[in-house]
Order: sequence, then C-alpha cells, then structure tokens
Amino acid sequence: MIIIGEKINATLTGIKSIVQKQDGAGLLELAKTQAAAGAGFIDVNVGTGVGSREDEIVSMQWAVKTIQEEIETPLCIDSADPGVLEAGLRMRNGRPSLINSTKAEEKNLAQVMPLADQYQTPIVGLAMDETGIPKTVEDRLRACENIASACDKYRVPIENVYFDPLVLPVSTDVNQGLVTLYTIVEIRKRFSAARIVMGLSNVSYGLPGRPGLNAAFLHMAVYAGLDAAIMDPLNQTLMNAVKAAEVLVGKDRHCRRYTRAFRGS
Amino acid sequence: MDQQILLEKIAFNVMQGRLEAEDEGFDEGLEGKPAVTELVKEAIRDGVDPKSIVLEALTGSMEVVGEKFESGEYLIPDMLASAECVGVAMDLLSPYLLKAGVETKGKFIISTVKGDLHDIGKNIVSIMLKGAGYEVIDLGADVPTDRIVGAVKEHQAPYLGLSALLTTTMRVMGDVIEKLKEEGVRESVKVLIGGAPTSKEFADQIGADAHCKDAFEATNILKTMAH
Repeated sequence: MIIIGEKINATLTGIKSIVQKQDGAGLLELAKTQAAAGAGFIDVNVGTGVGSREDEIVSMQWAVKTIQEEIETPLCIDSADPGVLEAGLRMRNGRPSLINSTKAEEKNLAQVMPLADQYQTPIVGLAMDETGIPKTVEDRLRACENIASACDKYRVPIENVYFDPLVLPVSTDVNQGLVTLYTIVEIRKRFSAARIVMGLSNVSYGLPGRPGLNAAFLHMAVYAGLDAAIMDPLNQTLMNAVKAAEVLVGKDRHCRRYTRAFRGS
Repeated sequence: MDQQILLEKIAFNVMQGRLEAEDEGFDEGLEGKPAVTELVKEAIRDGVDPKSIVLEALTGSMEVVGEKFESGEYLIPDMLASAECVGVAMDLLSPYLLKAGVETKGKFIISTVKGDLHDIGKNIVSIMLKGAGYEVIDLGADVPTDRIVGAVKEHQAPYLGLSALLTTTMRVMGDVIEKLKEEGVRESVKVLIGGAPTSKEFADQIGADAHCKDAFEATNILKTMAH
C-alpha cells in the first residue's frame, strides 16, 4: 500500500498560517514526521482560500523547494488549478512526483493531462465530472472511462493513472460505502494496469467513532483492490489497519511488515 | 383510534425517524409497530383534518428533532431519518391539502452557487424546509448566477437560499445579490446564505438578509421573516 501523507493541506487550520508566514521549519516538521511514519508520497496543497492565484503559485514553489532541499520522499502536487500544478512540477525538476488531480471533464483534462505527459508523471484521476460526484457506480465508471480515453489522446500511459473512486459520507446516504467499494472492484477489472487511490476520512463524516469506521472501510477497500490511500500516516489506528488488511489479502510476503510492527514492543 | 392519540403517535414516530412498521427507531424495540406511513394513511382514512396532521404531528416534532440535533443528542442520520418521514407524510397528504385549499408557507428557491459542487448541506436544508411546509425549488449545485436570478423572477419566490462550501466560491453569493439588484428584484426576495466558510459578518458584507449556520436556524429565521 502506498501511503500519501495528507497533513500539508492549507485548508486545515494551523497549516494555513504555516503557508501564509512561509514558516519553513513548521513545513519541514510536517514533511519529515510523515516521511518517517511511512508516507510514500507527501501531499502538498497550499491553497489557503485567500489571496490570488499568483500567491498560490508562489506558495507552491516555496513549499516544494523547502521540502525537497531536505528530504527525498516523492511529493504529491495538489491543486485544483493547473497553473499551480505546473509551478510545482517545474520546481520538482524531474524528481518523482504525483499530480493531484484531474476531473473527467474536457477542459480540466485538456489542461492537466498534458502536464502528466510533459513531466512524465503519474496523475490522480477523480471519478467525477463537471456535475459533481456521481451517486452511482455506473456514472463514476463513465467518468473513469473518459479519463482513460484522455490518456490515449494525451499520450499518458494508463499505468500512470491513479483512479480515485471518491467517497461520500454514509451519514447522509448509507449506500455510499458500497458505491465506492463496487467502483473500486470495477476499476480493477476494466483498467488492470492502473492504480487506485482514495482519501478515507470522508466516509465517516458526521458519525462518532471515526477512526474505527475509517479503519473498517480501509480493510474493505484493500480487499476490493485499493493500492494507495490519502491519509494521516501518524494515525496509528489507520496504519495498523493498512498492515492488517495487506497481510490478510496476501500482499505482505511472510507477514514481514505486519510482524515488524510488533517487534520489540 | 382517538384522533389526538393518532396525531401524537405520528409525532412520536417522526421523532423516532420510523417510516414504516419494520423500521428501527432512534430508540430500541419499536420494530413491527405502525410507523409514519401506516399512521398517516390511517389518519387520512379516519378523516382527520390534513392541516392538523401537518401542524400538530409533523412541524412540531421536526422542531424537537432540530433541538436534539443542536444539543448533539441526534446525529446527521437521525435528523435525515426524521426528515424523510416528514417528506413522505407530506407526499401522502398533499392531494388532501390541495383539496382543502391549504397553502404552503411560500416558495423557497435553493441553490449551491456557480463553481461549487458541494450539495450535502444544501440538500439537508432543502429536506428540512419541505418538512417545515415550504414549497422548495432546488436548483442543484454549481448553478450559474443568471439561472438563480432567473428562477427567482420566474417563480416570484419570496425566499432564496444560497450555499457555498469553498472560500473561493462564497464570493459568488455576493455576485448573485448584485445581479438581483440589477434585475430589480432584490426588494421582493429575502436572501439567506449558509455554508461552512460563511458567517454573519460575511452576510452583512455582501448584503444578504440572513446567515444560517444550519437547517434549523434557517427554519427559525424564516419564521421571523414571515411576520
């Protein structure tokens, strides 16, 4: 399982001020602790919601430069704005990265897919279009098909796509857990060379006992075929859930990673 | 069954969020007992005044649900279960209400603004206001400003609810208000706004009539506006 550390996100209180003040030490602390906890990628989202597009571009350049000067962990360049994505990728200068993300919408694809080609970088493709997050498996798969077609058009190999099936809270529609799980199963079938990534925490919005619910959902998603999770690598409940799920579906040879977690304790 | 007891049972089951007899309620052990659907049908059969079903069994109990949600006793699914009951009850009652010449509390147009796809909160408000007796016209999410203003004019709606969940799209709510002014309909419609990044101060800043932190505040504010 590839863990994408989610903590550097300027929409979160605390992180916003780190970005606004360009607090390099604070930013590096977040990056280093996540890398040490086992993050394979560190997500970098510097959209504070205030200020201009130019401000976000400057923040992205600063954040990427600051982190890559100190650690080698791949970065997940995260923005809804293609210009910000490009600024981050240019600063990476060929270092391993992940583009987060494109929707299955023509205009968005036309702006973001060429970046995946130009920078030879994998890309997260969201199973949604301009009308929002579809409520059904069929509509989410249609969005994935559109992304796959765009791969041909923009010369991006399907191996470089991380499909995100997306997840809506079960508190407002109790079928949404299954919609996401079935979407994962179908993506696995139709695009076997592609990878599947997901943010977990949305599923438990509005309910008590969220860490337990998120962990249970992670178990099911790994069984369905999830390859990567956008999550907090410092959350021990979730990290244990990753190890447990992988050992149970045969993705942890000789149970190495699972048993290592218990060694010396 | 005595009419008063029947109304109380409907109210109780709305609060329990039980739509049909087989449903679980907020409390344990109610499965198998008649729920909102069965009880409302029985009330209609017995000739209970449809208006009193709405006022005495539905509206009041939904207010109690609102209080329980505010206090944290009820969670989002509990509230939605109750709202679903009210929605189904209103569907069952609407032909009779129409026949009796009962009017709704007015048209309420609701929409998430252009550029914003978040609709969960907006949908909850939509359901709650239907339950409270408003004729809700839900335009959906990511709706262009012109379409929102067009709908206000077309329906001559006295109320407009705007939602945004992003700091980047909340400003669009101000654009809608400006457009209402341009089109000369600002005075005829009350504009209520809501969504995570919004505040009372922001509502004042863009010239909205009210800021609602959730669906229940929206129903309370609407009550004061009607008077």
